[in-house]
Amino acid sequence: MAFYEGLFRVLGLEEWCGTGASDAPLSMADLLAQSAGDGAGSGPAFPFPSLDNLNESCGNFAQTRDLTKGLEDAFLSAKDSIKAVLDPITQPLSWLLDGALWMFAVIPWFIMIPILVAIAWWASRSIAVTVFVTFAILLLAFVDHYAVAMQTLSIIFVCTGISILLGVPTGIAMSKSDRLQKALVPVLDLLQTLPTFVYLIPLIFLFSVTESKLYGIAIILYAIVPVIRLTDLGIRLVDKDVIEAANAFGMSSNQRLAKVELPLALPNIMAGVNQTIMMSLAMVVIASLVSAPGLGVNVLRGIRNLELGVGIVAGIGIVLLAVILDRVSKAALSRVDMTHKTH
Amino acid sequence: MTDKTPKVRLRGLYKIFGPNHKDMMQHVRAGMGKPELLEQHKHVLGLQDINVDMQAGEITVVMGLSGSGKSTLIRHLNRLIDPTAGEIIVDGIDVMGLSDDVLRKMRQEKMSMVFQKFALLPHRSVLQNAAMALEVQGVDEKTRTAEGMKWLVRVGLDGYEHHYPAQLSGGMQQRVGIARALTANTDIMLMDEAFSALDPLIRTDMQNLLLELQAELHKTIVFITHDLDEALKLADHLVILKDGAVIQQGEPQGILMNPSDPYIEDFVSDINRSRVLRVQSVMEPLKGTKFAGDVDIRANLESLIARSEGDTSLHYRVMDGDVAVGELHMRDLVKALVPRISSAA
Repeated sequence: MAFYEGLFRVLGLEEWCGTGASDAPLSMADLLAQSAGDGAGSGPAFPFPSLDNLNESCGNFAQTRDLTKGLEDAFLSAKDSIKAVLDPITQPLSWLLDGALWMFAVIPWFIMIPILVAIAWWASRSIAVTVFVTFAILLLAFVDHYAVAMQTLSIIFVCTGISILLGVPTGIAMSKSDRLQKALVPVLDLLQTLPTFVYLIPLIFLFSVTESKLYGIAIILYAIVPVIRLTDLGIRLVDKDVIEAANAFGMSSNQRLAKVELPLALPNIMAGVNQTIMMSLAMVVIASLVSAPGLGVNVLRGIRNLELGVGIVAGIGIVLLAVILDRVSKAALSRVDMTHKTH
Repeated sequence: MTDKTPKVRLRGLYKIFGPNHKDMMQHVRAGMGKPELLEQHKHVLGLQDINVDMQAGEITVVMGLSGSGKSTLIRHLNRLIDPTAGEIIVDGIDVMGLSDDVLRKMRQEKMSMVFQKFALLPHRSVLQNAAMALEVQGVDEKTRTAEGMKWLVRVGLDGYEHHYPAQLSGGMQQRVGIARALTANTDIMLMDEAFSALDPLIRTDMQNLLLELQAELHKTIVFITHDLDEALKLADHLVILKDGAVIQQGEPQGILMNPSDPYIEDFVSDINRSRVLRVQSVMEPLKGTKFAGDVDIRANLESLIARSEGDTSLHYRVMDGDVAVGELHMRDLVKALVPRISSAA
């Protein structure tokens, strides 16, 4: 009947094949094929020996949907133990996110806006940037997007903060050990290239959608990569002659890290922080799919209900936030030229 | 050589670069040379059988062309590079046996280093750089600032203490490097091609500064250079390195007058002998001829030619301080100006 039956007969596996029948659920495609009365003989003359095609000739062969089902079953069976470990560890993240959201909401706008402007000034020391930040926030507030913008901002603050807190030490450890670097680079590549929606899926299974840590974890996983990479790179790029001098004068490795390596790697680390901020912003929009509040919710509403205007205004709000965050962190970055080459 | 115990002593030092450098020692001990080792085993022979004694209070100059292993050699003294075999004895203690902590202590308190590319901390001010060694040792801020400032003034950098290294010229940066090494207050100073990156006039200035400091401080200085003129000017003891091996060592005037190897003759033939050779190298025992005048034993021959106005018939009495120690015939002086080419020539 099927193309590969002959092969199994030659291999003497006919009997083994006959015993098994797939107990995996029928796929929609199979169902359609059955109801159309479409038997063998239709497909291509020489089908690729894929799992599904081999299964047609030999019932004992697994089908591809057994594979996906197996993955799912494995995850579901491990879920409870993963959850038991992860739940308490990540609980503080929920508190932090909820706390930040609450704080940004409870502080009235006439106090909050000056605070944000002051932060922008303190970080950038640039009048142009500060004026731009002021106008952008006032504009957002004027079109009644103040509350959602603040929600987005508070999530970014928390997630970026935690990313730096975890990412910088990881980057330092990576720069000190070639083996750790070799092990972590593929993981970082994976985190950065995996489509953002894909790692929302297991998180949805693990945590309830009402918990803020669900999107917190997704954002941190995605945004932590550049700060780790650039911390590692920055420390590895520190001039070998200077490191040698530090050793020649008898510095211990901790002294070397604190007095030489970290200060000289700071411009690179700051570039990583800038990237991390931008990536958390990108993710916080997508995370609105799993209940993250903020401007992303409006974008989602625009898509779901085809409310074009709502989506565009929220989109422009996100662009404004992105420009604010980028300009402020870039201005801060350009200030940390530790070598005093100019003036 | 001398009966003093040397401050630093290298005994049978070997360094082989490569993944299995310990295993390569048997080949080298069996007499395999640098090219064969590279060809057959892909290992680089960096240093072979180095035996050097460095006396306290002297400047030992290690000279060689690039690739001769001189920078590798100096890094063995404070174990920035570990040898494949051999002993490094500093003040009677084998440095190879030290634990990491003790080694660090030794680097802090016994040896300071000056680098070819200065290697200052670019994010620290000149004063902070100068005081770095004391900061590492845990000295309080007031003392180390005072100490750093003292040496900055001594090397001629007062007024620049709040600048950053990138704002200074190369010569000034190296002055900071020297001040940093002096602030560490160590007996031994390692200078790795310290003046090679500077232009000739500044280099002469720095050499004079070093000699001036040395006359006052009497440190044990190990100086690496590829420049023979510099080596002859600074050295109390000169070690010539070629392909990782010592080919001649000794008092520089002696090497100049009696080169032991065609390689060194080549080297020596290009220098201005009248400026480098000193009276002591060509004088003879005092016999009591008629003297045209007194000369200092350390005067160079150039000054004497100028003084005699080229008259080769003159004789001078050689003085070491107030004592007459020998006599100098201008005829010998002129002969000494011609480099001795190996007997074949």
